Amino acid sequence: MTMLRRIADKPWLWSFVAAFATWLATIAFTGGQGGEQLLTAAFTFATFFVIVGIGQMFVITLGPGNVDLSIPATITLAGSVAMKVADTQDSMILLSLVAALACGLAVGVFNYALILILRIPPIIATLSSSFVVLSTAIAYGRGLRIKPPPMLADFTTAQVAGVPVLAICVAFLAAVMGVVLHRTVYGRSVIAIGQNQRAAALAGIKVERIRFMTYVLSAMLAALCGYLFSGFSGGSSLSMGEQYLLASIAVVVIGGTSVAGGNANLPGLWGAALFLFLVQSMLNTYQLSAGLRYLATGLIIIAVIVLAGGEKARR
Amino acid sequence: MLKRTFACAVAAAALFAASHAIADTKDKKIALSNNYAGNSWRQAMLRSWDKVTKPAVEAGIVAAADPFTTAENQVTEQAAQIQNLVLQGYNAIVLNAASPDALNGAVKEACDAGVVVVSFDGIVTEPCAWRIAVDFKQMGKDEVLYLKDKMPQGGNLLEIRGLAGVFVDDEISKGIHEGVAENPQFKIVGSVHGDWDQAKAQAAVAGILPSLPEIAAVVTQGGDGYGAAQAFKAAGRPTPLIIMGNREDELKWWKEQKDANGYETMSVSIAPGVSTLAFWVAQMILDGKDVPKDLVVPFLRIDQDNLEQNLANTEAGGVANVEYTAEDAQKVVDAAKK
Repeated sequence: MTMLRRIADKPWLWSFVAAFATWLATIAFTGGQGGEQLLTAAFTFATFFVIVGIGQMFVITLGPGNVDLSIPATITLAGSVAMKVADTQDSMILLSLVAALACGLAVGVFNYALILILRIPPIIATLSSSFVVLSTAIAYGRGLRIKPPPMLADFTTAQVAGVPVLAICVAFLAAVMGVVLHRTVYGRSVIAIGQNQRAAALAGIKVERIRFMTYVLSAMLAALCGYLFSGFSGGSSLSMGEQYLLASIAVVVIGGTSVAGGNANLPGLWGAALFLFLVQSMLNTYQLSAGLRYLATGLIIIAVIVLAGGEKARR
Repeated sequence: MLKRTFACAVAAAALFAASHAIADTKDKKIALSNNYAGNSWRQAMLRSWDKVTKPAVEAGIVAAADPFTTAENQVTEQAAQIQNLVLQGYNAIVLNAASPDALNGAVKEACDAGVVVVSFDGIVTEPCAWRIAVDFKQMGKDEVLYLKDKMPQGGNLLEIRGLAGVFVDDEISKGIHEGVAENPQFKIVGSVHGDWDQAKAQAAVAGILPSLPEIAAVVTQGGDGYGAAQAFKAAGRPTPLIIMGNREDELKWWKEQKDANGYETMSVSIAPGVSTLAFWVAQMILDGKDVPKDLVVPFLRIDQDNLEQNLANTEAGGVANVEYTAEDAQKVVDAAKK
């Protein structure tokens, strides 16, 4: 009984339970056909959600009011810049990665400058900066879709025995970020600030420096996602970031991270990302109309959050 | 006699002056009100607008042809924009509307203020405005008719739709379903929304593909064909016949397949240059010409034999496009009068 409770105490568990249930419900409909391929596809697309989810999770953990809404624009800008720099040449792969990350760095610094110097609340600051960033991407790329270098495309779409190589790399990245979150001064400072900013400041944590690093981290992970996603989907496009606005927040919340901050949950990002993709696939497989699909998506997400949150309240 | 001749001459001169004043649009200002610029199609649309209207302004055909795009793709924002354009004294507004009916109030106000409103692509239902519409339903049906010729034995179809809740998506889909109803050898076994975006289409197709039987063809709406091809490849399934939507990456992929294994398909979409057709129509109306309120713009269709030519004319990463001339506009108007 205590063991059961201890397992149920892990809020991230629910996202995996939900993902697994959704997967079962989908393959039950098809009579067991295509289950493995569906899982492969889910891991492929979940990977990108996890990359941006990690950044968003660190930001949200900083406490109430902290959220990064510039992620979609950053993805688009980094993707367009990287693809233009690479110009489909394999030899430029590393340089274009650097260019993408530099975009992320610039956006992160810009976001934080708005928050600190102009004293704009993060939700407004990152939203307005996203307009600036997206306009830059439009002016820079003029909406043209440039193909990725072949080696980048091959790497981002490669699979080993049905497991996407990129998913393995990102699982490794997530593990490293897990260590950063729980075992380093930086990560613990993020959590401490989220639990009580004033107490953290009194305890000697340089709050503003930690917040600065966190917004930069989030923007750079978004840039990394833009770079890899451009490689994966055959080029950058102006609308490539759109789906990541809600998704980046949803994977964090469904994954069991506290929206109020101070309590982060990294493994849950994977469960939540798989879940988000599988819900769409399930509803598509059931051939529901678009309206019903949106309705069902909303209801299912609410149900999962209530389940995960309910456990926490009882604790 | 002399008096009479003089009177005639004055009348003639007056008539000439009057008709001249009507026929002259060199003092007229035209504005483009556009609700969205965040994809390659809209970017190409704006570039075409500049390409055609700038020389027209320089040549003195009109005084101004300024494009305005709203930041948020919101009806309220565009309604306010239309009101501003009226206040700024534009004589005509060429409109790609965020909604077919929610802007009617603002459009009516503009008409009442004597401003000519020509809507295209995203048209408005307000009767005082002109509409340059696309027969999207026919476009969907044409896809099935093409398949009927190509594979008379029929087969399973996967449908990729656009953005849910948008008029264009409903119309194309209706056309496809109508075509399938008339040709029961085809069966739509799956339908997903790809939002006219390659990456989203790829994710949606990858998610539904494992549950589907063998697919003979994919019917699309444009901007989603390449993503579908990628998803089939990733799943290790044979590539079906995928209808394309004139995007450069789609045409290029098609060309590669054609060279490698004789792959056959067709590609159909609306040329973003339709904005320039709307410009000429607005100019004709300002010129006092009789233009019917409802006009229909032709599709831009690419087939196996003119693929290379169209691909060569399409900017890398862009959309196959044509810009229209004043003569093209005249033809479209004449066709509508018949």
